[in-house]
Amino acid sequence: MHRAKVLLNRPAGRGYYRLVLQAPALAAAAAPGHFVMLRVSENLDPLLARPFGISAIISKRYIELYYRVVGRGTTLLSTVEPGQTLTVLGPLGNGFPAPERSSTPLLVAGGSGFPPLLYFATHYGKQSHLFVGSRDKECLPPAAVMKDLRSRTKAIHYATEDGSRGVCGFVTDTLAKYLIRPAAGGAPVIYACGPNAMLAAVSRLAAEHSVPCYVSMEERMACGLGVCMGCSVSMKAGGYKRVCKEGPVFLASEIDWNDRIVLPVLQRK
Amino acid sequence: MRSAGRNIARSGKPVRRGNKPDLSVDFAGIKLKNPVLTASGTFGYGEEFADIIDLNRLGGVIVKGISLKPIKGNPPPRIWETPSGMLNAIGLENPGVDVFLRDKLPFLRNYDTAVLVNIFGYSLEEYVGVTERLDGVPGVSGLEVNISCPNVKAGGIVFGTDLKAAFELLSAVRKATRLPVIAKLSPNVTDITAFAKAASDAGCDGLSLINTLVGMAIDVRSRRPRLANCTGGLSGPAIRPVAVRMVWQAAKAVDLPIIGMGGIMTAEDALEFILAGASAVAVGTANFVNPRATLDIIDAMETFLTREGIGSIKELVGQVNRA
Repeated sequence: MHRAKVLLNRPAGRGYYRLVLQAPALAAAAAPGHFVMLRVSENLDPLLARPFGISAIISKRYIELYYRVVGRGTTLLSTVEPGQTLTVLGPLGNGFPAPERSSTPLLVAGGSGFPPLLYFATHYGKQSHLFVGSRDKECLPPAAVMKDLRSRTKAIHYATEDGSRGVCGFVTDTLAKYLIRPAAGGAPVIYACGPNAMLAAVSRLAAEHSVPCYVSMEERMACGLGVCMGCSVSMKAGGYKRVCKEGPVFLASEIDWNDRIVLPVLQRK
Repeated sequence: MRSAGRNIARSGKPVRRGNKPDLSVDFAGIKLKNPVLTASGTFGYGEEFADIIDLNRLGGVIVKGISLKPIKGNPPPRIWETPSGMLNAIGLENPGVDVFLRDKLPFLRNYDTAVLVNIFGYSLEEYVGVTERLDGVPGVSGLEVNISCPNVKAGGIVFGTDLKAAFELLSAVRKATRLPVIAKLSPNVTDITAFAKAASDAGCDGLSLINTLVGMAIDVRSRRPRLANCTGGLSGPAIRPVAVRMVWQAAKAVDLPIIGMGGIMTAEDALEFILAGASAVAVGTANFVNPRATLDIIDAMETFLTREGIGSIKELVGQVNRA
């Protein structure tokens, strides 16, 4: 557990906030795909810490997080001033396995799933293609992040549901197009983070093309330590695994996607 | 705040300087170095916390509930945050008693802390079965019998809310082991004292209370329950006053030692339970929020006793004054 001083906490555009915390010990131990549990206040309400994926380590001393104000916790977090301290636990979880030098990483980001992929791209992005998708161009990651990602990856493939940026459609449409005719280079490996429906679709596509696929899962969690058993995901082999402990990065082929995707759709009727 | 260095405590009694207050407790024959335990289901089997805190400092660990056979648990979503608390419906996921004995208990044996094993089943036979497997196992100090899980349909709460079923179950478990048997009672009953008496009549050596309160939360847009299980167990500081009240009632009703729990976040919270009649306390949801919560509570409890000039924690058990 660390007491981290807030260096910066301000709007980053497109509805996101950028938060930079001074946490040298945490920064030293972090790797792409790791997350932290952050308490947004020292009060009893809201009670639980929130999980956030790390997007960057800056100057070996600071961790960078992006968040969108979506509920009570993030609303409170957005009022935190530089100089204040926050309690943060981490780095937690199992990150992305380092790609083989000869491979071509395909990064797939949907919704607010870009932070761990930004961290990944900083380390292993040179030969990578980024596939980013959102409802419309205003829902893409912040412009500064996109600029950063452009400099760290080989190419970016956009998809928006209204066609306001790139291909009109889903991120899986651009990914499918790429997988049918991949660019010359190393064997592709997919690394994805975003909503579960997107991850399930990416996973299916990866299986169709026999491309290895890693997904970084998001789930509500209370502890981040593997004891509350709240963040379990269903496995194809039976039973559950904890996003916080065995994840958040899983091999997509391990996950029982039906358990997560089909059920809510059926219930919506 | 008065500093510990002054030699007159708030109570007016002189402080015994240099003497550390005695935090040790004898709970139903189980020696605890201090009265602070970890509540079942909030501390796993200790491994996850061993890198963060020194487990040797704990009074004891009450491990996550163990059944005769492995249990898969409920589908997600399993948790939902509520005002100063949380709902959970994990469904008693656990690897079963054989894996516990082979893979989990040996780790805890490395530490100088009491290990209480929380047990449950879906039938009386299963409760007795897991009890027999744990009898005489080195490193197990006692059993906490969960008759109060609100999240499993067949077992758990069925025993905890029916007096006759509770008595029969606890009697059978009591006969199946030489270990101290502690009954973990459900707060989801009209009269907690009736169940405390049933546990006492069944020959139990102690009580644990309270388990979680049954609750529910609904997403008003999708109109679906927040938990896949629909209902879940409410824990955290939101339930503390209910828990303190029930410990107070149970302590007056029976002559059994009590492990008090329910939303303890600080030493002051823990002391409330002890004054209400608990001999020991268990810290639960606080472990999720602050993995060091147990140690912070032990340290602050010691500081409190020193400042108040109280020589032993035992002096405070049940010492709540009249209003």
